[in-house]
Amino acid sequence: MNDAVTIRESAPGRQATQRRLDFLAIAVRFQSVIGLMLVAIGGIIFSPRRHGLILFLAPDNIANIVRAVSETGIIAVGMTFVIITAGIDLSVGALLSLSSVLTATMMVSAGWGLLATLLAVVATGAAFGAIQGIISTRFRLEPFIVTLAGLQVARGLALVISGNQYINISYGVGPGLAPPIFSVLGDRLFNNTVPVATLVFVVVAVIATFVLNFTRFGRYVFAVGGNERAARLSGVPVTLVKVAVYAITGLVSAIAGIVHAGQFNFGSANDGTGYELTAIAAVVIGGTSLFGGAGSMVGTVAGAIMLGALANVLQLNNINAALQLLATGAIIVLAAVLQSLVRRREGLAR
Amino acid sequence: MTRAASTHDPLLAMHGVVKSFGGVQALRGVDFDLQRGEVHALLGENGAGKTTLMNILSGVIGPDHGEILIDGTAVRFNDPRAAQAAGVATIFQELDLVPTLDVTANLFLGRELTRAGVLDRAAMRLGAKSRLEAVGVDIDVDQSVGELSVGRRQIVAIAKALTYASRILVMDEPTAALTAAEVDRLFKVMRDIAARGVGIVYISHRLEEVPRVADRVTVLRDGKVAGTASPRAPQSELVGLLVGRPLAEFYPHRTGAVGRRVLRLERARYRPARQRAGWRTPQDISLEVHAGEIVGLAGIMGAGRTELLSTLYGAGGPGAWSGIVEIDGTPVALTSIREARRVGFGFVTDDRRGGGLMLRDSVGRNLVACVLRKVSPLFLMSRSRETRLAHKAIVSFDVRPPRPEVAVGALSGGNQQKVVLAKEVLGEPRLLLLDEPTRGVDVGAKGEIYARIRDLAAQGVGVLIASSEMPELIGLCDRVVVLRRGRTVAEFPAGADEHDVMAVAEANQDGIDE
Repeated sequence: MNDAVTIRESAPGRQATQRRLDFLAIAVRFQSVIGLMLVAIGGIIFSPRRHGLILFLAPDNIANIVRAVSETGIIAVGMTFVIITAGIDLSVGALLSLSSVLTATMMVSAGWGLLATLLAVVATGAAFGAIQGIISTRFRLEPFIVTLAGLQVARGLALVISGNQYINISYGVGPGLAPPIFSVLGDRLFNNTVPVATLVFVVVAVIATFVLNFTRFGRYVFAVGGNERAARLSGVPVTLVKVAVYAITGLVSAIAGIVHAGQFNFGSANDGTGYELTAIAAVVIGGTSLFGGAGSMVGTVAGAIMLGALANVLQLNNINAALQLLATGAIIVLAAVLQSLVRRREGLAR
Repeated sequence: MTRAASTHDPLLAMHGVVKSFGGVQALRGVDFDLQRGEVHALLGENGAGKTTLMNILSGVIGPDHGEILIDGTAVRFNDPRAAQAAGVATIFQELDLVPTLDVTANLFLGRELTRAGVLDRAAMRLGAKSRLEAVGVDIDVDQSVGELSVGRRQIVAIAKALTYASRILVMDEPTAALTAAEVDRLFKVMRDIAARGVGIVYISHRLEEVPRVADRVTVLRDGKVAGTASPRAPQSELVGLLVGRPLAEFYPHRTGAVGRRVLRLERARYRPARQRAGWRTPQDISLEVHAGEIVGLAGIMGAGRTELLSTLYGAGGPGAWSGIVEIDGTPVALTSIREARRVGFGFVTDDRRGGGLMLRDSVGRNLVACVLRKVSPLFLMSRSRETRLAHKAIVSFDVRPPRPEVAVGALSGGNQQKVVLAKEVLGEPRLLLLDEPTRGVDVGAKGEIYARIRDLAAQGVGVLIASSEMPELIGLCDRVVVLRRGRTVAEFPAGADEHDVMAVAEANQDGIDE
């Protein structure tokens, strides 16, 4: 009897806390979507106008935004898996560069066919990531260190293979020429509106969202990041999952590298610098916890687009690049603070 | 100290203390007093108000109503420093020691001795030595606290509290992480200090410790004093006060129906993940568990209970086992957790926060963590199957609140433990390995957990339980096997005498095993 009384009396207070917490948690969960909307509203308000037309909303401008974020966006999607397992992958930008060099070299210098080239590059990227995962799990090394080394190795390989030269891609039929269809990656479809690079980003994001939220593997990823020991004791193949998420970042980096080569018609060992940081920023702004165990793919996609839109709004207003960096930094801190608030609430609710 | 206190005034008296947090009344008029030289045990389930009362006494929070008298003089603490100045020292569960500093530095932290502005290390070392001698222990004052065992840290914390010229010592569950020998030493230190006139408030949920150390027991329930009793009162009376109803059946009835043999270990040896001092391999384990049977593993700290369970669960890796290890009469290697699960093992760790739960994740997602295969045909998660299983587990274990979407970290300790158990049970194990299944769980939830374990056995599951709480093993199990230095050394039938089992477990600790 007494037990029942206690529960009834304490329940309203606890439920109220729970509701407040849920509200904050939901706001944080969709913080990047909310942020993207705010940036869009700001963009519309502050956009320069020409002949009464809001330049920010011009189809060309929108297409530019989503095209510009496609490469880092693709990488951020893969990075989300890694960060949910409480890991990190710093090698992605260098791997993008290596992949662009490989793509150009295989098609132009080695004369490989399109399909063979794409498969080989993607497989190489996935293998590169998997090896980093294996080294990190086998020798119990911090992924930060392993992928920092991986960054150097990938960049070094790209330099060696390319001889530190741009490898230009020319199109046509015959030896030393790439199939013209490859250049579609730099085009826009549907009446010259939708960039193909963006379509690739969308496809990758949709597949990743599905895998993370609706498959057993996705649940394994959350479990490993949430509590690795508990996951292991529950029979989750923890090592395999960890290797797999680094294979995923390797794979998406290769895809981004192919997109890069196709958009700019060359492979370069010096591109993709700092992409890893942009991708991590998109993931964090998207509400994924660097401590692992919680995250959202939709958030990452919105975070990546938001960063691109913000840069675009500032550019349209001729605000210099240094200020863009300041704005990005402030947003990352804000996103992290919001998450920390939720964590602290959870701690109190216990 | 400051004035000649009338010896008729109690050292500490609290009258009508009321405290509420946003509409929830944590304390509703509590009276409590403490005499000089007395150890006064304060018992209560989670949420009964123990912690709130302690926080008020130590100045962490202030009461809404009521008064606190020390030596008959009303006091009001606005912060912990004021309480310390008045002679009230509190030792919290998370000891306020810096593990990277040595014992001397910790004892004088914040009140370092200096000479001409320079730290007077020699004087502090001497002071530290005399303080540790005063509590009757021999601890190297130059050793860093992080290298000490938890029990020794506890004693350093007491010594530190006593440097504040404290006359009232408040201790929050000081024995929670201690071994039996460390508990003995701690209790001796507590009695010595009390004999010098210090009053000690001893907060605990371990009923069996109360008669060993306390002079008086006060039980809190629902923010009120449920009663004050002599520590020598029968346990059932104290339990009745704690939960507010007579506890006719704390341990469930034994069913007695035992099926065929599930697990057989015969002169088996395993390679432990971590070698313990004094162990000699081979450990030589002989033990059987039948379907429908609950077998207890007794042994002192370090006897190898956890190691045996986790190596059975495949945590030892390839080649961990030798000798005869059979499941249902078939030899098994038990080289990985996944293999152990395949042959039907389930395991509940003694560290539910570290290894049992994904605390930030929801109850529902935690519950299905062991059976993801079952709820994801063709790799795709099936929300409907997931929800169905989660609800089934929540109902059968009476998890409160019964909502699968709540973060598991927000639940009480008892309910978290139910989730850990329920999640293994969903995996339909044939043999369930439980390591300290009721650690940090209040009495009410303990009873429920015992009942569920017995239900499982009645359904034909074999259960192997390791526990450091002897009454639990004796009360719940059909047989108790004793481990000593990694070996099985004896076996007792149901209802054996607690002291006999303890004697075997603790025997021959100084000599080398034959």
